[in-house]
Amino acid sequence: RPHNLTINLYLTSSTATRAKMSAPAAVRVIGAFDSPFSHRAEVALRLKGVPYELILEELHNKSELLLTSNPVHKKVPVLLHGDRAVCESLIIVEYVDETFDGPRLLPSDPYDRAMARFWARFIDDKCSKPFWLAMWTDGEAQKGFMKEIKENFALLEAQLEGKRFFGGDTIGLVDIAACGFAHWLTVCEEVSGVTLVTAKEFPRLCRWAKEYASDEKVRACLPDRAQMLAHFTANKEMFMAMAKSMLPK
Amino acid sequence: KAMDAAGESAVTCVDKWANGFGMRARIALRELGVAFEYVEEDLHVGERSELVRRMNPVHRSVPIQIHRGRPVCGSLNILEYIDEVWSAPGETRRLLPGDPAGRADARFWADFVDHKVFPTQTRFLKSKGEEKDVAKEELVEQLKRLDEVLGEKGFFSGDEFGFLDIVLIPFSSMFRGYEQHGGFDLEVECPNLMRWVKRCKERESVREVLPDEAKMYDLHKEWYGIE
Repeated sequence: RPHNLTINLYLTSSTATRAKMSAPAAVRVIGAFDSPFSHRAEVALRLKGVPYELILEELHNKSELLLTSNPVHKKVPVLLHGDRAVCESLIIVEYVDETFDGPRLLPSDPYDRAMARFWARFIDDKCSKPFWLAMWTDGEAQKGFMKEIKENFALLEAQLEGKRFFGGDTIGLVDIAACGFAHWLTVCEEVSGVTLVTAKEFPRLCRWAKEYASDEKVRACLPDRAQMLAHFTANKEMFMAMAKSMLPK
Repeated sequence: KAMDAAGESAVTCVDKWANGFGMRARIALRELGVAFEYVEEDLHVGERSELVRRMNPVHRSVPIQIHRGRPVCGSLNILEYIDEVWSAPGETRRLLPGDPAGRADARFWADFVDHKVFPTQTRFLKSKGEEKDVAKEELVEQLKRLDEVLGEKGFFSGDEFGFLDIVLIPFSSMFRGYEQHGGFDLEVECPNLMRWVKRCKERESVREVLPDEAKMYDLHKEWYGIE
C-alpha cells in the first residue's frame, strides 16, 4: 500500500488522564496522517464513543512500538487495547464492534453480516489497486484501470439504491471500508488531473461521499484536506513511479 | 442438529473438488452436523455455469453457499455465516473463539493465509528458476510463522478444533506437493504443523472432505505446467 511522508507527531496522554482511568483498559491507535486504513480504526472508535490516544507514525521511520505490535506486516493501523494488539483495519472495525457498546457497525442478521463483509472485502481486494493505478499511471494501462475501477464503482453505486449509507440509515462496516472514496478520492483527482467519479455517472456515490465525510464523528478523524493536498502534490512523482512499478511486466 | 430437509432450510455448496477455499465450508458444515447438497462446478470449462453466474455475479467464482435460496460468497464469509447460524446460543461449540480478541487473532491469521500464503504458493508453483527459489523461501518462512503461532497447542485456538484450523487444513493436501516441488521437508521445517495435520485428519469432517494428495499434486502440475 502506498505510504506518504507523514508528520512525526507523538501525542502522549497527560498524567491527569491516566490517573482518571479506573476500570476500562487504555485504547490507543497507531496510525498515519493520511492513511484511509488508519482512519477506519479511528472512526470505528469514535462512532462507538470510545476515547483513545492517537500515535502518529512516520512511515519511513517506523517506531519500535509499531514494529513490535505488528511484527508480521509492520503496518498501520494497529489498535492497542490493554495488552492486546489488533492489526488489519477491517479486523479492527469488527473487534471494536464486538468489544464496545454503542451503535452497531455490522448488522445483527447473519446474512446481512455476510453481505457487509463481502462488500468490505470487495472494496479492499478489487477496488484499491485499480483505483490507485487509474490515478497514477497513463496511456493504455491507465485506460484499462479506469474501466476496471468504474465497473466496480457501478457495483457500489447499485448497492446504495434506496439507502443513505451502505449500512442503511447509519454508518457501518462497508461505509468505513469505502472511506477512501469519500475523502481521498477528490484529492487524488485534483492532484493527478484524472476525473474518476462524476455526479452524472455516479450520483449515489457522490451523495454518499458528502454524507459520510460530513458526519460529525467521521469529520473529527479525517485528515485536513489542505494538508493532504499539499502532501499528495509533493509526492506525485513518487506515486507515479510506484504505480509504474506495480504494473505487470 | 434438527435441520429439516424442507427446501427452506436446505443448504447447497457449489464448488470444485480441488478448491481449498471451498473445502473450508464443507468441513465446517460437517463439524456442525448440517446436511448439505454438493454441486460440482467444472472449472475447466471456459464459461461459469448459469448457477454460479446468477449466485455470484460479482466474482463468478466458487465456493458459493446457498441457504434459504440466498447465496453467501467468499470462503471466510461462509465460515462466519455457518458459525453464526448453526452454532446455537447457549451452546459451547463455536468455530470462532468466544472472545473478541481471540476472534480478531483468528481472523488476522486467516487473512495471512489468504493474502500471503496462498498467493505465495501460487507463485511458487507457477514460476521457474530464481523466481521459484524466492517464492519457495517465502512460502517456507510463512509456513514456519504459522508453525510458530500453533506452537505446542493441539489446535490453533487451543484445545478445540475451530475456525483457523478449518481455514488452513485444506491447504495441507498440497504440503507433499510443495515438498516435492521445492525439495524441502516440512517435518523438519514445521514439525508442529505436521503433527497438527495428523491430528486434524483424525476428524471425520476433515477426512471426508480433503482430497487425495497425489491427485491434488497431479492436478496442480497440470494447472501450472509443472513437469
